[in-house]
Amino acid sequence: MSRYAVNSLLYRLKKDSAYRARFLSEPEAALADVDLTPEERKAFLARDARRINELGGYLHLVMSVPGIAGH
Amino acid sequence: MSHVLDPEYYDHACGQIGRRMVEEVMAEIRALGDRCVAQRPDALIIVADDHLNAFSFNAVPALCVRIGTHVDRMVQEEAEAFDRALEGMPLRYPLHESLAGAILERGIREGFDLAFSWEAPLDHAFLSPANTMYGTRALPPLVPIWVNCFVAPQPTAARCFALGQHIARVVAASPWNVAIIGTGGLSHFPQLSLARVGETDTVFDRRVLHWLGEGEYEPLCALSADELDKAGEHELLNWIVVAGAVTPARAELRYFGELPRINLTAVEWRLV
Repeated sequence: MSRYAVNSLLYRLKKDSAYRARFLSEPEAALADVDLTPEERKAFLARDARRINELGGYLHLVMSVPGIAGH
Repeated sequence: MSHVLDPEYYDHACGQIGRRMVEEVMAEIRALGDRCVAQRPDALIIVADDHLNAFSFNAVPALCVRIGTHVDRMVQEEAEAFDRALEGMPLRYPLHESLAGAILERGIREGFDLAFSWEAPLDHAFLSPANTMYGTRALPPLVPIWVNCFVAPQPTAARCFALGQHIARVVAASPWNVAIIGTGGLSHFPQLSLARVGETDTVFDRRVLHWLGEGEYEPLCALSADELDKAGEHELLNWIVVAGAVTPARAELRYFGELPRINLTAVEWRLV
């Protein structure tokens, strides 16, 4: 369940530029309704790509979401 | 058969050596394209994987054939480097509707129930190698086939090989002259770990290339998902489909270049 939540959030951040802009400007509000564990939420708030990947975020998503990780 | 990349990107990621190797492998793929064009294929089958571009968590097909009359290049705002490299390429490509339909329908009848799509667009995994092969020449009608290389659980190596054999049976019973390519790097992204980006398993790659060169497909089919994941060899599944399609032909090695981030390889199977 958590893996799905992490990856569906990454996918939304990749594909939905309006949501991504909101995440980058108001991260806590943007994540408020997303079903994440405290650890996952912390990783997203820190935009910590490596941690998100360790928590089950697919590499190709964490590498391709603008603002999370450049490569 | 290679991951074809933007030399500018590799200049950034791997320095001048990376840039030189990408240019070398691309030259080999262009030469391979010249030989392919000389055979005047009626259709070009491209076996590649999705990078969570065409499909989402709505559905993850293990093996999927693209049907319909045409396919579009994926267009995405702020695309990653590999897909930005496509921006000068045509937006729309014709499909070989009859061959794609035959692969799908005969498969369904004979126990190979492929997923199929009328809408999935093509990203760099399909278009970079094909456009490198063809350059400014128009591509023949395409039959794109996706293999789920990255979202576990993936199809097995043996199943991918069997798909290739199925494709070969369909082509053999058809009136068409068909070319097939498989794309994707050899070893890169072990365990899909961001912390390990930059590691490759060259020993594993050389073993794979030996099997391909000798036509030893049994050990290839016996590779487990765990072995492929540990070696960062996920995209080899695409190559294994092609190996199944051309068996018992043996691969001729055209290029092997070791880079810290990905090993670049081009191999060719000549059936004529």
